[in-house]
Amino acid sequence: MQENHHIIEIKYLTKYYKGSNTPAIDNISLDIHKGEIYGLLGPNGAGKTTTISILCGLFGPTSGNVFIDGMEYQHSAEKIKNIIGVVPQEIALYPSLTAKENLTFFGHMYGLYGKELKNRINECLELFGLEKNANRRIKTFSGGMKRRINLIAGILHKPKIIYLDEPTVGVDVQSRNVILDHLRNINKEGTTIIYTSHYMEEAENLCSRVAIIDQGHIITEGKPKDLIASQKEFTDLESIFLHKTGRALRDE
Amino acid sequence: MRRLFSSIYKEFLVLIRDRAGLAILFIMPLVLILIMTLIQDATFRTVKEVNISMILVNNDKDSLGEAITKGLYASEFFQIVEEIDGEKITEELAKELVAKGKYKLGIVIPARATDAIRGNVSTLINKSFKSFNIPGVKKRTKKSTVDITIYIDPATSQSFKNSVLSSLKEFTSQLEIEMFFKNFSEALAQMMPDQKPIKFESFETIKYQEVYASTTGVEKLPNSVQHNVPAWTMFAMFFIVLPLAGNIIKEREDGSAFRLKTMPGSFVTVMFSKIFVFLGVAFLQFILMLLVGVYIMPLMGLPQLEIGPHKIALGVMALASGLAATGYGVAIGTIATTHEQAATFGAVSIIIFAALGGIWVPVYVMPHTIRILSQFSPLHWGLNGFYDIFLRGGDIFVVLAETAKLLIFFVLMLLVAMVYNNYTRTK
Repeated sequence: MQENHHIIEIKYLTKYYKGSNTPAIDNISLDIHKGEIYGLLGPNGAGKTTTISILCGLFGPTSGNVFIDGMEYQHSAEKIKNIIGVVPQEIALYPSLTAKENLTFFGHMYGLYGKELKNRINECLELFGLEKNANRRIKTFSGGMKRRINLIAGILHKPKIIYLDEPTVGVDVQSRNVILDHLRNINKEGTTIIYTSHYMEEAENLCSRVAIIDQGHIITEGKPKDLIASQKEFTDLESIFLHKTGRALRDE
Repeated sequence: MRRLFSSIYKEFLVLIRDRAGLAILFIMPLVLILIMTLIQDATFRTVKEVNISMILVNNDKDSLGEAITKGLYASEFFQIVEEIDGEKITEELAKELVAKGKYKLGIVIPARATDAIRGNVSTLINKSFKSFNIPGVKKRTKKSTVDITIYIDPATSQSFKNSVLSSLKEFTSQLEIEMFFKNFSEALAQMMPDQKPIKFESFETIKYQEVYASTTGVEKLPNSVQHNVPAWTMFAMFFIVLPLAGNIIKEREDGSAFRLKTMPGSFVTVMFSKIFVFLGVAFLQFILMLLVGVYIMPLMGLPQLEIGPHKIALGVMALASGLAATGYGVAIGTIATTHEQAATFGAVSIIIFAALGGIWVPVYVMPHTIRILSQFSPLHWGLNGFYDIFLRGGDIFVVLAETAKLLIFFVLMLLVAMVYNNYTRTK
């Protein structure tokens, strides 16, 4: 186990999907510090989801290494899975189960049981304003409510690291604010957050550091303020993003 | 273990919340088994009990025509039609009615058919006695054939046609024997006019005694229900593959599978919880189908299903068959990428397994190559096991080999799913 202040270390990571001659990510190296909110930004098909998938242990890289809290998936997959929480872009819940039933099941999968789990579910539902809807089936929820439950399912076990893939896509302003406020609070408690988004303003306000990825390469990396300051002609992250990745339309 | 229980409970909730799906899971197999048994019961009884309308045109008006007519009327197989609207049916009309499919068969006995047979019998006798130069023996040696025409509806099954033909042959050969003896007796009387005429009586010298072999010493009479309930139960149980594969694909499409893969606990835990719940469904289906055989089928005029004394063997076979079916469902659900793929491949492959397994046509009548292939059908193993219990009175030791094959198939399918799952993780 490596001892350093980097909770995630990505070393020369390359991924070729089977049958493809072009790498989805090409020789990426990143260090993410403990307690950061790190934004992975990029257009469609840039390599964000591939990077997140490798970080979540869904599949391995073609070459390179990933260290999560000093551990590698090849040797310590179960240990790593216990300290990470994943909030996928899809509403990864069971529509026919109630909010409470969904959270109870996912809590059990993370090894939480009994009173501890019950209290944690109630606490999270209350935090996200869903306590009155605990016994309603997910399929009856609005888009914003589903997003909030989707988020709770990933943070229920108080993970050290949370991966968030477009957590606010398709939700109203109120739900977005609730989600972002709670992400900041979770982060203040020491949780590291890796976050992908297409909303540049959101990323600029939320992230301590960002990396802009395109065509499998990291184009630029740093604190949003520093990136903006380094480019005199631009005043926000979105302008820098468009400057770096171009205005051409991208396919998935 | 707690993760497994929790996962089982979740699967159970997902299953019972889908009321329509649940109804389909239980009602459809019952409808299938009832309809298939009723249909198969008809074919099972075709030769014995089914009264099929048949045209008879008797142009002979003598012994042969009379014997065939009498035989056909006496038989319970057929309902004989000789007239329509009070008018005798001609050969042309018989042909037309059968061609139109209004009757399955039309038998036309030609005029002077009896004379022809008589002539043939005499010819045979004359030929036999000719060398003895006995006075009084006629020199006639000319043979003539009797052509009984049978018009057959092309839609008539081969087995039905064969049974009718064999019945007709039985009537005519009996008549031939009787005529032979009669003419033989007459010929002897001519040769030895001083002797008292010999009266030949034909009687059944060979009798067939049917005994259904059984290892238990208790003879069981097979009927359509004893044959069909195990066969269609096996078939219906395997259809659990479709909802199970659909459940796995839906979980993947919803994104829950993605989330589960990032959580502690393995693929095996998730899959075993599905297997457990769907095995429960399959077992419940099995019990319901047996209950239909015992209580509902008799109300519909079918024989009652006899479960027999070996209930443990039955339970073991049902569980092994259910495991084989759920294992197959897990493999298909893991490999198929869409619902369409799983539904098409799953359904067609089960039908192929069923065909090879002898659900429709007994394996022993299949061509040699297909018979070899059928040895690899899990439905064949299951069906054999159930036949051992239902028809041959077999106990748990008798079905051990079939149970083992089904369990090996289950393990093999799980391995396929796990290997494929690992392969996709490394792609």
